[in-house]
Amino acid sequence: MSKGGARSSLRRTTAICAVMVALLMLASMLFGAGSITPLDSWHALLGRGSEESIFIVHELRWPRTILAIVVGIALGAAGTIMQAATRNPLAEPGLLGVSAGSSFAVVLAIYYGADAVGVHFGIAILGALAGCFLVLLTTQMRGAGTDPVRLVLAGAAFSSILMAVTTLILLHDQRTADEIRFWVIGALGGRPSSYLQWAFPGLIAGLAMVGATAAALAALSLGEKVAMGLGHRPVFTRVLAMTGVAVLVGTATATAGPIAFAGLIVPYFARRLVGPDVRRALPVALLIGPLILLLADILSRLAVRPYELPIGVVTACIGAPVLIAVVRSHRLPRL
Amino acid sequence: MPFPSSVAAPQRERRTLSGLMSAAIFLAAGLLSMPSVAQQKTLDTAFGPVAVKADPQRVITLDEGALDTALALDVQPVGSVAARGGTDLPAYLQPHAKGVTIVGATREPNLEAILSQRPDLILAPPGLEKRVYDILSKIAPTIVSSVPATAPWQERNALYAAALDKEDEFKARLAEVDARIASLRDRVEPGQSFSVVRWNPQGPMIMSSQLITGQILTALGLKSTDIAAKLGERPHSDILSLENLGAVDADWLFMATLNAQGEATLASARQQPAFTRLNAVRNERAVPVDGQVWSSGTGILAAEHILDDIERTLVK
Repeated sequence: MSKGGARSSLRRTTAICAVMVALLMLASMLFGAGSITPLDSWHALLGRGSEESIFIVHELRWPRTILAIVVGIALGAAGTIMQAATRNPLAEPGLLGVSAGSSFAVVLAIYYGADAVGVHFGIAILGALAGCFLVLLTTQMRGAGTDPVRLVLAGAAFSSILMAVTTLILLHDQRTADEIRFWVIGALGGRPSSYLQWAFPGLIAGLAMVGATAAALAALSLGEKVAMGLGHRPVFTRVLAMTGVAVLVGTATATAGPIAFAGLIVPYFARRLVGPDVRRALPVALLIGPLILLLADILSRLAVRPYELPIGVVTACIGAPVLIAVVRSHRLPRL
Repeated sequence: MPFPSSVAAPQRERRTLSGLMSAAIFLAAGLLSMPSVAQQKTLDTAFGPVAVKADPQRVITLDEGALDTALALDVQPVGSVAARGGTDLPAYLQPHAKGVTIVGATREPNLEAILSQRPDLILAPPGLEKRVYDILSKIAPTIVSSVPATAPWQERNALYAAALDKEDEFKARLAEVDARIASLRDRVEPGQSFSVVRWNPQGPMIMSSQLITGQILTALGLKSTDIAAKLGERPHSDILSLENLGAVDADWLFMATLNAQGEATLASARQQPAFTRLNAVRNERAVPVDGQVWSSGTGILAAEHILDDIERTLVK
């Protein structure tokens, strides 16, 4: 494929994904667990119709649509960069325990009495940083770091430990149980609108960090010596990339709770569409992330009307087959 | 004990050991049932007829309704399971209980702790697993009610009262509750609607109107929301979408919360615009109540507690 052809295919893929995101945004405004019809929702969107339907569309569906986009961008970018930085196609904030570290930090903070939204965001990012640091350490270990599946196993062990301690806290202090349940179930509905103003700075800061490392990560995929020959600093690049991942994951977790598998699904599809080069996969991932989250959220509302499923259940249903596909594929893509 | 010569030595040893063990268990069981020479009666339980002796002394309750019933009838159990999600007895029963040892959780009774209390009667919840029942019934006669949680609460707990040999006292206490309901009924405006929920930030779980709370409110002349009445045998719903929050709106919205958390839950719910739109909230008729009574309690003491709450809020 000529360079020009590759560029136009990237442009075309980006355009198609952008149109699909726009369509799903519209669908997210029109479909829900409520008793109002999509037609009523359409009228409400234009500012007509009953007070009830206008409330549902503007006050309930619009915030969660925006949340799905913010969280989708954060998790999509985090997953893509994490896979490039660890050179592991199974790296995913949920699977490697970064999300678990983040939500556990918040659980601990709630247990010790913190209840300000801003504190939750800061602590979620700190927890994600600790998780990312552990992942980086593990990748430096002989044997574990080069084997994708072992890294995932280490992450699973880490997550289980955190889950056990969370259960202990719940047993010890039932007063915090309700508040904590809010954090350990991933969901987009019912999050206070004040969360958005905290999520945007985190999203932008995280994206700036991971965006700055994309070129260096692409060079690193050719080998450390080549990257150093090209003037990149491998250790600095990895640390900056993983810090950006932590900011993104912490922001996503503080906003919507842990949502498993989103960070795995997004880079998988992005690579299939535009190839393994992280400089090409990242912009596509920024669109596929919201696409997956919007789709999962719409399904979570429609599956058990008039009730709702946690979105994590839906992303797990999409993500588990992807995980199996990646592990089973005869050649794990080398990153 | 003569063994066939074909049995290998290690196998023989194992047989001897297991023989000794079962002998020990029989001996222990025999010692436990020694004082039971008193008269017996037979009760119909979920696992068939079970013989219990009159006037049991060491009772273990594995069901919150059974604990409530025992305490209401002045029986102090030697052991009981902790309240759902907690590590101690339900708070509303604690003032009535003295020296009750915790023997595990409702879903996971601690068999060793039960055995060490040397009970002569075990009162177990409906839906107890056969596997657990088989073990418990070797420790002491085990009474499992066959009545579901959504049946009239009096029926559900009558079997426990019978097992405690206190049927007459139970009937007398029930008559008191009925009399109180009858007197309250005249002071509560009839036909008002009610809804009992457990609040989550993502949306509430609706408690069935066929639990004790709904039964009492209905007896007082109030009516349930349709969505709670349609839950059938399920004690509560899944998380309701905030888009459908209107389905739980009623003249009175009772929010079952963990103890001492009521006002905090109400405050956090008020941050949700869909919640503040409810008529019950606008009219200041969203009432936090103790979930250990309103959503998982059952029995005479629970009924009295619920009636106290109703008298405080609904009676002008």
